[in-house]
Amino acid sequence: MKLDPSFIWTAFLQILGAIPTTLYITVVSVSAGFIIGIVVALIRIYKVPVLHPLAAGYVTFIRGTPMLTHLLLIYFGLPVIIDGLAAQFGWSFRSVSIPMIGFAYISFSITAGAYMSEVVRSGLLAVDRGQIEAAHSIGMSTPQALRRIVFPQALAASLPNLSNSVIGMLHGSTLAFTVSVVDINAKAQIVASTNWKFFEAYLAAALIFWGLTFLIERATALIEKRINLYNRGGVA
Amino acid sequence: MGAPFDLGFVFSFLPKLLTTLSTTLLIVACSLLAGILVGFIIALPRLYKVPVLKTLAEVYISFFRGTPILIQLFLFYYGLPEVLKLVHVDMTRTPVLVFVILTYGLHTGAFMSEMIRAAVTAVDKGQVEAAYATGMTSYQAFTRIVLPQALGIAIPVFSNLVIALLKDTSLAFTLGVMEMTGKAQTLGSVTQHFIETYIALALIYLVISLCIEKLLLVAERRLLQHEAQGSPVKRRFSLQKKSSYRRIIAELDSGKGGGTI
Repeated sequence: MKLDPSFIWTAFLQILGAIPTTLYITVVSVSAGFIIGIVVALIRIYKVPVLHPLAAGYVTFIRGTPMLTHLLLIYFGLPVIIDGLAAQFGWSFRSVSIPMIGFAYISFSITAGAYMSEVVRSGLLAVDRGQIEAAHSIGMSTPQALRRIVFPQALAASLPNLSNSVIGMLHGSTLAFTVSVVDINAKAQIVASTNWKFFEAYLAAALIFWGLTFLIERATALIEKRINLYNRGGVA
Repeated sequence: MGAPFDLGFVFSFLPKLLTTLSTTLLIVACSLLAGILVGFIIALPRLYKVPVLKTLAEVYISFFRGTPILIQLFLFYYGLPEVLKLVHVDMTRTPVLVFVILTYGLHTGAFMSEMIRAAVTAVDKGQVEAAYATGMTSYQAFTRIVLPQALGIAIPVFSNLVIALLKDTSLAFTLGVMEMTGKAQTLGSVTQHFIETYIALALIYLVISLCIEKLLLVAERRLLQHEAQGSPVKRRFSLQKKSSYRRIIAELDSGKGGGTI
């Protein structure tokens, strides 16, 4: 087996086709995770009676176990639950009709939700309490104060963490190969094993991921500049 | 898909999985040591702004933080023997575990170096100047003044890195290492009780990460005991420190914690 530098380019072109799948997984899990995260964070901040310990347990469990176990648990556990319920209530829906990528979406969203809730929580806590009191004092309702005063500032405070989470989920999406979804990593495996050139194929995959990560970082830097406009000191 | 759910299997799988716990912990311990060493070496050129080495270190960190650990695993496992073959070193008989530890070591090294750099730069420069003013050498100033403070600042981040590393080891099974996840998959396919095995697996990981968190929390308290609350002067001091913590934790905390594998 000899190193074949020109194959890196060939592999690169072949793997490019799998980028959308990786991006779908990332975007779906980050967006769904963000929504879960906001709900969980609000439950924990406002200490909603019964839900509060449940939310804390969810976050602890997800953060304490590897993402791979979440994926495997969902992959093997969800069909049992769905088919059990379907048999009981006579639904026509069966777990077989869930596409493989659906499991990845569900599992990664649950994972992202726990991490996002911490990001959202720290962002919300970073906003000074006085701000919401000031908003109340000029007659805003709590939802108004949250939406107009707290959220914009919390977003600015948590943007670096948010970007890290997106990158984390992008990298985490490589696990989708365990449930036979052909993302960048799985494509690299296919290209590698059909051509028997492992090093070149994985190098190409690594370069693609590196590029994607770099793009996310640049994009965040741009957004951060815009979002922090109100924060610049001085006049003008 | 498999046999019906039976909670009893979760408990019977626990001891079976625990037999491979030593492999998982071995990977964590070895890569941690390697990571601290690499991290220190990589952090130095950036702290002292050594011209060419600084750029190299930045590329290294960018690569290891910018690509998934799974890709790095495959890259080293398949790539290193081929590269070393060019200089006539034969790696065909090297155990897989060596590649796994090497990859995790280099991966954590990148994060460690960021942690070390952030912690050292977070210590007020005036402290070093004060140490010089009292006649300490730069070695003394580092070991007596900077290091104790930097350790206290770094330890929450360190704790996160260790837990992240523990969770990352679940990927070693892809190269055929029989650590806990690999064992769980084998158990699952032998008995067809997949859900029960993975629940047992998740429980073990959860308990270990909680233990690590608690242990390092104790270490953190010990390291920070000199930051005692008490007289108002000291108190103001500790408040100032707190803000630097928050900055670092915000910067680095989810650098690894943010959706890690």
